[in-house]
Amino acid sequence: MPDFSVITQNLPYLLWGRALEGQPGGLLLTLIMSLEAGVLALVVGVLLALAAWLSGGWTRRILFAWADFIRGIPLIFVIFWLYFLLPSLFGVNLPDTITVVLAIAWFTSAAVMYSTLAGLEALPKGQVEAGLSAGFSRTKVLVNILLPQALPNVLPSLVGVFISLIKDTSLAFIVNVPELTTVAGQVNNRTQIYPTEIFLFTGAVYFLLCGALSLTVHLAGGRRARPA
Amino acid sequence: MFPSPVPLTRRHLLSAAAGLFALAAGLAPAAAADQLADIKAAGTLRVATFDSNPPFGSIDPSTYNLVGYDVDFAKAIAQALGVKLQLVSTNPANRIPLLQSGKVELIVADLTITPERAQVLDFSIPYFETGLELLVPASSSDALSSFATARIGAVKGTTGEQALKARFPGSRVLSYDDIPTALAALRNGSVDAIAQDSTILAGLLAEAPDRAKFKILPDRLSREIIGIGLAKGQPALLAKVNEILVGLEKDGQAKAIYDKWFGPGTKFASPRSFTIGVTN
Repeated sequence: MPDFSVITQNLPYLLWGRALEGQPGGLLLTLIMSLEAGVLALVVGVLLALAAWLSGGWTRRILFAWADFIRGIPLIFVIFWLYFLLPSLFGVNLPDTITVVLAIAWFTSAAVMYSTLAGLEALPKGQVEAGLSAGFSRTKVLVNILLPQALPNVLPSLVGVFISLIKDTSLAFIVNVPELTTVAGQVNNRTQIYPTEIFLFTGAVYFLLCGALSLTVHLAGGRRARPA
Repeated sequence: MFPSPVPLTRRHLLSAAAGLFALAAGLAPAAAADQLADIKAAGTLRVATFDSNPPFGSIDPSTYNLVGYDVDFAKAIAQALGVKLQLVSTNPANRIPLLQSGKVELIVADLTITPERAQVLDFSIPYFETGLELLVPASSSDALSSFATARIGAVKGTTGEQALKARFPGSRVLSYDDIPTALAALRNGSVDAIAQDSTILAGLLAEAPDRAKFKILPDRLSREIIGIGLAKGQPALLAKVNEILVGLEKDGQAKAIYDKWFGPGTKFASPRSFTIGVTN
């Protein structure tokens, strides 16, 4: 018979960790890391897509090679590399949480780049020609005409990418950054006998978080697509 | 990293790049000639310790601070050095890489002294001693030898893995992330036994509601002598840590820390079979 008192007793720690001591943890840290990595991945990914659209030849090939390289490696390895290899090779010792945020953002920016580029290239070619003949530069056509149409179109795909990113923050447990999965592990290892209750709760929290986000965007998107 | 309203110019990019290099150079540690001097200069001792391994290091249920036998030793060492303590939480598999990548100066995390580990790091004198034992279903045989070809669970990155492979080459060792997962595997029959330090097994069994279904075998698989890990080639730091450990034994602090976590009446109660600084 599951005994969920282990959750209620440890709820503050699972939800915000040591936030009162200035060290956010648990669900709060999961949210902070998701937002930071999400914004970073969105900005970098869109910039990469714009660069790939504008450039041809070798620049474009290098951008794709960069994205394919990072996409082709399990995220957990990227986290490991930044955590252990960066300090030992270059002596750069970033705070643990920042290391994981950078790893996730780097990894996710490749997916954002692909989605955004697909959105840009799906627009009718005539728009570019019309813009150029009206005297716009290629950059102006891209930023002022194409991007404002492409971004709303790829929004559902970007939301999917962001939902993956939220779940990916759980990989921070491998380097003991105290987000939700790590603190759940800490409580599980101290209490030792309630793994079912603790990990059912943790799974439910991730599901609610991602489900709520998905539902919100779905409702908002549905309204936008409906004819007036 | 928000998009800037000012268009990026080459000058912006150059100054950003220069800033990054300056940052990298500033953070790069000077080749650690004498870590003891570096620790004193920085005023901070960084120690790798467990956050999920009671009674060595775990999160206190009411204060949410890291507490445990290893945490108390780390605190005592930092205090003796007269510097601030920065605990870096870790797990068994990551503790040695943390030292090697220069993220910590000491590992105080139930680290058994082994010849393999001594090739990549130096050990202090022992400050704890325990033994590997097997936790098995109550209906199993009491003889250690009857598990020579069994499926046995161990925790990743611990000496349990190596000890089993050395002592029982015919056994099949399955490695789990932590001890509750290994216990779950024993419960559902995925493994016939789990190998872990006797102190940890005693605490595990004390809490389990189904403890009547399990027993700890009387014979030990190996003797585990635990030391503090530090980087190779740091004679000054090594000598200082050893001196502090001997001092903690002399003034009774080491025994007080032991009694707090392993003394009579505690969950992990077990008699103290060693004295720091005395080889036996």
